Amino acid sequence: MSDAQSLPGPLAGLRILELADETGQFCGKLLGDLGADVVKIEPPGGEACRRVGPFLDDVPHPERSLSFWYYNTSKRGITLNLHTTDGRQLFGRLVAASDVILETFRPGFLASLDLDYQSLRKQNSGLIMCALTPFGQTGPWRDYLSSDLLHMAAGGEMASSGYDEADVPNAPPTAPGGGNAWHTGCHFAYLAIMGALVYRTVSGRGQYIDASIHEACALTTEAAIANYVYRGEVLRRQTGRHHAANPTPRTQFRAKDGTYVCALVAGRLNPKYIGELADLLDTNRMAGDLRDPKYQDPAVIAANTSHIIDDLVANFIASLPAEEVYHAAQERGFTWGAVRAPEELLNDPHLHDRGFWKEVEHPELGRSFVYPGEAAIYNGSPWRISRRGPLIGEHNTEIFCDELGLSRSELSVLAESRVI
Amino acid sequence: MPESDVMSRPRALENVRVVDFSWVRAGPWATRWLGVLGAEIIKIEWPENERGRLPSTTTPQHLEVNLNTSGNFNDTNVNKKSLSLNVRSAKGLEIVKRLIAISDIVIENFSSRVLQNWGLGYQEQCKIKPDIVYVSMSGYGHTGRYHHYTTFGPVAQAVSGLTYISGLPDKPPAGWGWSYMDDTGGIYGAMCALTGLYHRNMTGQGQHIDLSQMVSSVPLNGPALLDFTVNGRGSRRPGYPPGNRAHWPGTPLINNYRGPTVAPHNAYRTDPGGYNDWCVIVCHSDEEWQRLVQVMGAPSWAALPKFATVAGRLEHQQELDDKIEAWSMTVGKYKLTERCQAAGVRAIPIQSAEDRVEHDPQLRHREMYLEMEHPALGRHKVQNAPFKLSETSAENRLPSPLIGQHTREIVEGLLGYSHEELRAGFADGTFWPTRRALFPYMAEMLE
Repeated sequence: MSDAQSLPGPLAGLRILELADETGQFCGKLLGDLGADVVKIEPPGGEACRRVGPFLDDVPHPERSLSFWYYNTSKRGITLNLHTTDGRQLFGRLVAASDVILETFRPGFLASLDLDYQSLRKQNSGLIMCALTPFGQTGPWRDYLSSDLLHMAAGGEMASSGYDEADVPNAPPTAPGGGNAWHTGCHFAYLAIMGALVYRTVSGRGQYIDASIHEACALTTEAAIANYVYRGEVLRRQTGRHHAANPTPRTQFRAKDGTYVCALVAGRLNPKYIGELADLLDTNRMAGDLRDPKYQDPAVIAANTSHIIDDLVANFIASLPAEEVYHAAQERGFTWGAVRAPEELLNDPHLHDRGFWKEVEHPELGRSFVYPGEAAIYNGSPWRISRRGPLIGEHNTEIFCDELGLSRSELSVLAESRVI
Repeated sequence: MPESDVMSRPRALENVRVVDFSWVRAGPWATRWLGVLGAEIIKIEWPENERGRLPSTTTPQHLEVNLNTSGNFNDTNVNKKSLSLNVRSAKGLEIVKRLIAISDIVIENFSSRVLQNWGLGYQEQCKIKPDIVYVSMSGYGHTGRYHHYTTFGPVAQAVSGLTYISGLPDKPPAGWGWSYMDDTGGIYGAMCALTGLYHRNMTGQGQHIDLSQMVSSVPLNGPALLDFTVNGRGSRRPGYPPGNRAHWPGTPLINNYRGPTVAPHNAYRTDPGGYNDWCVIVCHSDEEWQRLVQVMGAPSWAALPKFATVAGRLEHQQELDDKIEAWSMTVGKYKLTERCQAAGVRAIPIQSAEDRVEHDPQLRHREMYLEMEHPALGRHKVQNAPFKLSETSAENRLPSPLIGQHTREIVEGLLGYSHEELRAGFADGTFWPTRRALFPYMAEMLE
């Protein structure tokens, strides 16, 4: 372990108050894993996303949700009932000593408790407050209900993803899985918060951020908007590859082991590439007629695109396991990849070289588990998972007593009246 | 907001300067967001190996395809300045070093050893500007045995597991119909740059941040990965991925990493049955289901006991979906959305790009797409930030630059070279290939 590993993270010293459900908890993780002290404030009994599976050993329990575990690393956890006057007073004291509030309540909820930004900043002019909501604080859809699937629909992700008619007739637009509407909203919220934090380092002033998951998703379909705005085109869905105004050659091929390879070939075909492709295919003696001098003529290449891709490349890939194709191709400079299931990444030596997988201790279970690590290596201020996700109210004593100065007996009274 | 008000508001990244070597999508998408927050983005370009401007599939039909007429380039590069410069020449390298000396951030998305081979690795940058924040955005990162492998979005998505999780069970992966990881990898580039900048402002220390497009995709599968590392459950299993459903009928009941396991949870055709005439409907509870039943007009089938519970609806999901679709096909997708949402039912239209730009009342209200004038493309809608900041402006101010448009401004105005030196640099191939015709605005800047 190098010296850099012992340095604080880039956001060390920041205090974040997170009042977030499934839509915003990932943003708190992004901040916490980079060193901020993220205090997750849950309602007494715990946040509803603790009920989302899968669960440890498939035993449903609010402390065993793997989804909750993943999205709440590096946070401390307290419980607080904002519907009570005592709860709001304690919240106010926390706000006075915090830098950022991240909240995902429905628009108007905090204002109805007199906890809107204008009220809260009176005691803390540097306060940054980010409201991350499905549709933003204003507009005709402001109060609409949503879900990950709904955002993938409205944002355009589904209109771009699906199947060729030949592969799956009458296929529906298909939403990629994994909760990526929430990820996308959280990435942009993180960006806005960091912009406001940088501004505060210069100006000393905080500000309010109105962030919309719908807008974040609507921005995240690459050139689809430009294709429409500049050319009036509405794109068609294709199996395993880019949406397009007109059909494009396939890029996904079945390998010998039944899994798939993503091989980007079309659009790159020229005489030099044909030579390199012949070398690659010849590693398994499958170059076919690619060494024929006729392929020095770009017109001949263009006329044989389907033969090259659908016969030669497809047959080559079908003759080998996907991982072998992937490495053979990449070592020769081809931008190809194996289509892997997520868990197959556990064996990836490149990720091991980068120290990507992290052992995270769960002391209450006497066990530790492997978690995914960092998107980027911060060489001067490392990313780290400082602790597993908090148990319900795990840090109530630490924060309410040790930091805010309440006595143990006061805390007991607050617990009795369901303030915490 | 009136334009004058926008222009007078402070910007979060006022006085932050970014040297931007980025080319294909992910890099320019990163610096776009630093630009919208007010940083001065100096995009270093060379027409011989430009890959963001050409080939262009988004040039309006009535215009010639050239370096300045890509619509997608325009949308991806608003709020930037362009310096055309041959960095692979000694003179060009010297100019870049003078620029880095007065900048805060260097960002690039070349293959892993390119900048080092130019003599511009992090150690060299530090000699020029000790507290520089350097963000490298390569396919596999600068560390690790496959650092020399390359990616485009679809390959990063494939290798990281993101492609696999999208599709119907027992079919090939549907994947993502675009380079999600160029978009999201780009956002990570901006996130890294701002995080490094904040850290520098607080500590005085710069650093090299080694971002990898492939690696940054992996944490987006967190719950699926924990299901494997904790429970030993892999995702190559019957019923996964479950299409648009939370669970595929006839397969073991299990959470599939997209929220609660419920039905209905699907896409349904709507009237008039065109290519994008679909909506999605999700009911998270029995209460929400009963509200949907009312919206559908309380048909007799919906009162059957088998549909009364989550377990029953999951068990009879195919029949449930068929019945719902028989109803949804009689209603337009926006009308259906209004009726459902008014009753407290989660429903929304599937929206194409045209739908978002022309028909989405929320995006219109939020001014998501506002027109900007571009000297070669004319007046077109450009995408705006998905957040509004109360103090600082996040509105677009500049259209994308023509290639080399700001070369004189930067070389003479910012770096203090003389006009004669600028002319000499154009003559010797430092600022533009000698055998390539100048655009008229370049000829003008040499007068």
